[in-house]
Amino acid sequence: MTPADVTRLAEGLIRAGEALRTRTSSEIAETLGRVGERFLGAQDPIRTAALKALPTTAGLSPEMARATLDGMARDWTRPRLKRLLEIEFGDPSSLDGLVDGGNRTEMAIGPTLCAQFVAGGVPGVSVSALIRGLLVKGPTFVKPGRGDETLPTLFERALREEDAEVADALAVRYWRGGSTLLDDALLAAADTVTAYGSDATVQALRARLPPATRFVGYRHRVSIGVIGRGALSTGFAARTANDVAAAVGMFDQRGCVCPQAVYVEEGGGVSPSEFARELARASVDFEVEFPSGPLAAEEAAAVHQLRGNAELHEGVGAGHVDHGGSTGTWTVIFEPEVMEGPSGLSRAIRVRPIDDVVQLAELLRPIGAHLQTVGVAGLGDRLRALAPAWGRLGASRVVPFREVAFPPPWWLHDGRGPLRELVRWVEMRSD
Amino acid sequence: MSTEQRKDYDSANFDLLATELESRFHDGVAMPWTETEFERRSLKAFAHQFDYCSPYRAFCERRGITPGTVAGWEEIPAVPATAFKYFDFVSAPTRDDSAVFQTSGTTRGHEARGCHHIPRLSLYRASLLPPLEAALLSGLPEPMRFLSLVPDPKGVPESSLSYMVGAAAERYAAQTDWLVDAEGNFDEARLSSVLEVVHDANEPVLVLGTALAFLHVLDRSDLRLGPLPDGSRIMETGGFKGARRTISREELYQRISLETQVSTERIVNEYGMTELLSQLYEPVLTEGLDAVGVHLAPPWLRVRALDPTTLHRLPEGEDGILAFFDLANLGSICHVLTEDIGSVAEGRVRLRGRVPGSEPRGCSRAMDDLMAAAGSVR
Repeated sequence: MTPADVTRLAEGLIRAGEALRTRTSSEIAETLGRVGERFLGAQDPIRTAALKALPTTAGLSPEMARATLDGMARDWTRPRLKRLLEIEFGDPSSLDGLVDGGNRTEMAIGPTLCAQFVAGGVPGVSVSALIRGLLVKGPTFVKPGRGDETLPTLFERALREEDAEVADALAVRYWRGGSTLLDDALLAAADTVTAYGSDATVQALRARLPPATRFVGYRHRVSIGVIGRGALSTGFAARTANDVAAAVGMFDQRGCVCPQAVYVEEGGGVSPSEFARELARASVDFEVEFPSGPLAAEEAAAVHQLRGNAELHEGVGAGHVDHGGSTGTWTVIFEPEVMEGPSGLSRAIRVRPIDDVVQLAELLRPIGAHLQTVGVAGLGDRLRALAPAWGRLGASRVVPFREVAFPPPWWLHDGRGPLRELVRWVEMRSD
Repeated sequence: MSTEQRKDYDSANFDLLATELESRFHDGVAMPWTETEFERRSLKAFAHQFDYCSPYRAFCERRGITPGTVAGWEEIPAVPATAFKYFDFVSAPTRDDSAVFQTSGTTRGHEARGCHHIPRLSLYRASLLPPLEAALLSGLPEPMRFLSLVPDPKGVPESSLSYMVGAAAERYAAQTDWLVDAEGNFDEARLSSVLEVVHDANEPVLVLGTALAFLHVLDRSDLRLGPLPDGSRIMETGGFKGARRTISREELYQRISLETQVSTERIVNEYGMTELLSQLYEPVLTEGLDAVGVHLAPPWLRVRALDPTTLHRLPEGEDGILAFFDLANLGSICHVLTEDIGSVAEGRVRLRGRVPGSEPRGCSRAMDDLMAAAGSVR
């Protein structure tokens, strides 16, 4: 790839936008849904190819790769995409022409060219991203993250088989992060840019944009869990632990939705310390069902630092740690006091006791700007008071642990409507 | 996490071990130690540290390992290098000849700085001189003048690197010019006058500095670092941890060479870390450019590359996580597991740098930096 190639491709996409805009958004949802469903079709060669390639390209175990694909592709189906349009726009035909909205006559206009820079780690995020662009009738150029090239490439291929006209409005190309000349060629051509990644990545891209370009940044986020007494009865704690272990371990904890710490309330049937042991047990079970993928030497080195430090803390009476040794990357650290230390981000979870979850908002203040998902269990009616407080801090999603890993297509991604972010509106009043 | 010291401890055992080691360090690096000797000394060091350093003892006991159960030095538990940030590993009483070195620690944001307690500085001095002499000063008829781009230890008593350069200068230098102050600022006037004097004298000099310091000079159009007289040598250390810009080692050395007229086989890389008192050097001065990328450890430091999953020793030449057993660390903890990746073959260490342009995976981020300020839960 050269910058000239990128420019040429981008110009082709912009031209293809004309044909794309002649289709209704419902038709496009139908087409994309049909393509997405192929990733779920048991005998479909697209699914077969995905399952074959994912363990290598994404660095996940075959079992985890399958669970990830199933979880992601469930949201690429026709009913889910049509629902997404309805939830975001009420009347999806507002993408197709002027709609009388009662107070205003208005129409949603999609991008002329939507450039998407997606982070790696969780395979399928690039596909969800490109679907958003195409659904609002924006020709879309996706640069997937390292490790997430397989699914968007297969999606592009399947889309071409399904509907060449829509496929003409999609390009998937990978290049290494920091290839400034290629990035700039794409940035220059696009009128809408989405960027997923570290704060530094997002900031670097935003800084290079002309003022008229719309920018949608999904920067670094952290997620946590909160467990109230209600989920800590002796009969219930094991189930809670299973849900937490799954939320932590899914995608080997590479998703920004995956919790890195859980706050466990005192005074339940099971103490926070006991809950940490239960979580260790659940992590073993999860590891058996969904083995962790291979770690790069650097990642493994970080895990050993994390574990060694936690063992040292345990030795001096500050909490305790269980981990998978050489049979699994999971680590569960019970820390009565917040301990600094490296985080392995490879199924590592810190369990912290808290007297009452009401105290949490104050405690989370330092990470508020980075807070995303709060997985919850056992909080019952108290959630109605807690969620607004967490939301004011910065959290955008408070959901049961079982829903943590796979948000639905219409989730308020970092607090904003996923499609509404990509359009602008024109209103009209007749003279 | 602070550690109660064992006030009742009789430091005679530590001093006995340290004195023996100092004496052996003085014998130099030319003769390798037998496995038997290394084993004997490392087991003694372990027994001492296990006895004295309570967090380390608890760490070992948690793994079911005591001086009575280890069969060989490789079984002695290695503490994570990052633990120096959170624990005071002290294996001897503090006294006049003690110091606390701190890491610059900027790679992980706002985390605490690592502390390395040195109960007996003479042991550090004894360990640092022979490898430095062998790597940088071999074949010299007379003492050289030292030009240090590392701050004078008087201004930064917490820097192990400054201490090292200071100790080496005291022992070997004809004269030493400290060209960078404690805040890292160049004494520009001094630099240019020293260069003039050096040029007129036409005697070889040794320049010592971090990669960042060299880069700083090279990037400043108003600063010069050469040409230096024939036979001059350069020691570079430190890499670019925490720095905003990086260039390849090859490019850096070429630029240093161009600026100073010192050929690249006279530019020696030193690899060290605050957590280890011994250093490793690239033997380019004695072996030429074939030795680029190879680091030699002194005989009292053993390096192993470990399987990233099992932490078992890997076959020769295979990349893994590096663990160091450094007898010079007698006053803290000898066995340290790092985050560095590399291989070991025939006692030579090959470090693998981070892959250039490698991206962190995912949009998730370690929350520890952010949580550091959050304080206690209760």
